Amino acid sequence: MTESQTHPQLEVRSLRKTYDDGRIEALRGVDLIVTAGEYIAISGSSGSGKSTLLHLLGGLDIPTSGQVLFKGIALSASDLDDYRARQIGFIFQAFYLLPTLSAIENVQVPMLALGLHANNRAERAEALLVEMGLNHRLNQYPNELSAGERQRVAIARALANDPTILMADEPTGNLDSVNSARIMEILTGIQKKRGMTLIIVTHENDIANAAPRHIRIRDGRIEA
Amino acid sequence: MASQLSLSGFAWKNLWRRRLRTLLTLCGIGMAIGAFVALVGFSRSFETEWLRLYSSSGTDIAVVDKNFMNSSVDQSVVAKVRAVPLVEQAEPMIFNIMDLTPEVNAIVFGWLDNTYEFNSLTFTSGSRFHNGKPEVIIGDTLARNMNKKVGDPFEMQGSTFTVVGIYHGGTALEAGAVILPLDQMQQLSSMQGKVSGVHVRLRPLPAAETQEHYFKRAQAAIEAVVPGLNAQLASDRATNNQFVDLAHAVAWGTSAIALFVGILGIANTMAMSVFERTREIGILRAIGWKSWRVMLLIETEATGLGFAGGVLGIGAGWAGLHVLSYLPKTNIFVSTSLTPAHLLESMAISVVCGILAGAYPAWRGAHLSPVEALRHD
Repeated sequence: MTESQTHPQLEVRSLRKTYDDGRIEALRGVDLIVTAGEYIAISGSSGSGKSTLLHLLGGLDIPTSGQVLFKGIALSASDLDDYRARQIGFIFQAFYLLPTLSAIENVQVPMLALGLHANNRAERAEALLVEMGLNHRLNQYPNELSAGERQRVAIARALANDPTILMADEPTGNLDSVNSARIMEILTGIQKKRGMTLIIVTHENDIANAAPRHIRIRDGRIEA
Repeated sequence: MASQLSLSGFAWKNLWRRRLRTLLTLCGIGMAIGAFVALVGFSRSFETEWLRLYSSSGTDIAVVDKNFMNSSVDQSVVAKVRAVPLVEQAEPMIFNIMDLTPEVNAIVFGWLDNTYEFNSLTFTSGSRFHNGKPEVIIGDTLARNMNKKVGDPFEMQGSTFTVVGIYHGGTALEAGAVILPLDQMQQLSSMQGKVSGVHVRLRPLPAAETQEHYFKRAQAAIEAVVPGLNAQLASDRATNNQFVDLAHAVAWGTSAIALFVGILGIANTMAMSVFERTREIGILRAIGWKSWRVMLLIETEATGLGFAGGVLGIGAGWAGLHVLSYLPKTNIFVSTSLTPAHLLESMAISVVCGILAGAYPAWRGAHLSPVEALRHD
């Protein structure tokens, strides 16, 4: 029996996160199990702790107490760089593209951390951008792209390291309804096509309700 | 062909994004390296000229007092040195540096009119001076600087001499020098009966002996007949004299200050850059870049500044050295040749400056928390 068959892909146990010397409790003991290939939406009001949970799941931050386990192994602070580099693809509300780099160069940035050959990096970045329908925008800089195009470049960048889990923090928060629908279509399409886990943080009910699994967070706790 | 991104290309784009700041930083480090190239190049060329001064005349040993700057030896030692069997020729000489005009300095030598040291000079007009007469010969660089020709009067320290010869010397020091009869120089310097030292040419090296052993034997033999004086190898005297030491000290001291300022300039630029790019560093960390890779990126930018500053500085230093070689005040001390070793050393120092200057900003950037960095405005 393989490790992935015996353990969930991602598990959090009694996860707490406090700020300001414990005065602010963002998460108050969260337990969660994520199975490989799941599509999960996490919703909640502003300040509920949904983004904090996503950051802890994605190894961007370390919990005050509790554990995050990937395939049954607790992640320590020293594991997080590798975990993010190899397992996680992040998409942010504000896109966070690097302004000095063109679209195709932005997509190559995560691959610089993986030691891929320069030709392979460029070819893979081009293929991903073509997949996102941006074959005519490869060499444009972020300020030359529309908001929807920027988010598609950001999705291509998140896929560049071939992650097993895609995490999106309010991916449609800066987009109009047409572009929102397009981005969600792309994300769910990727999740199905690649069989990867997709975790989306959103405050939009339509998006949250469309996910097969919907987790609501309130005051740092998962609602039953 | 899809555009390829490399770490160095990424670093270059980051630097080019703030062109003015990058260019100003390059000017700062370029000036520092330029000062290093010019000043240390000047002091080394000064040392080289001294070495050539002795080697071109064929002097093997200089008998001097312990103090180079104010060496004063009784002229009677000349006969004692000449009597040493290994000595072929021993010639008294006086050496000084004098202001000829407010703008022109010159090295002034006092020689006998039959010394072997004339062998290194080629007369372009006129001929040697004569002992006991108020005559001088001058190097062609000095003649050009002072617009003098044979037959012209030549003022020095309130005395008037006649230019009887203009020569081309093998070194910049000789080309800018004045040489006059030893007795005239003794009067001019109030050194009657005294000389700065005795230049010695040894007999040919015996076939069965190494040069090093032969020179040591000769030094010991000379020092035995002139107790209290120092029989110094000409090459040692050229490289280990107080003029050269002073030139080296001033050059390295001034350069060190300039380099320190240059390092501060790069460090400031990189610190500002890291601060401005805090969120971008957070993005890099979020998409899987490890701390060391972020450090590598920032250090690559700093090293790039150091390298480009080095290229700029070498150009500026070379130009500065050329300017010094044209100025009457300095052209007698300077040759414009820069050795490949000096250029490599300058480039290495510039790159090391970049690495040092980038160290703290790189460390700071690499240790930002990804989440905190992403929240940064």
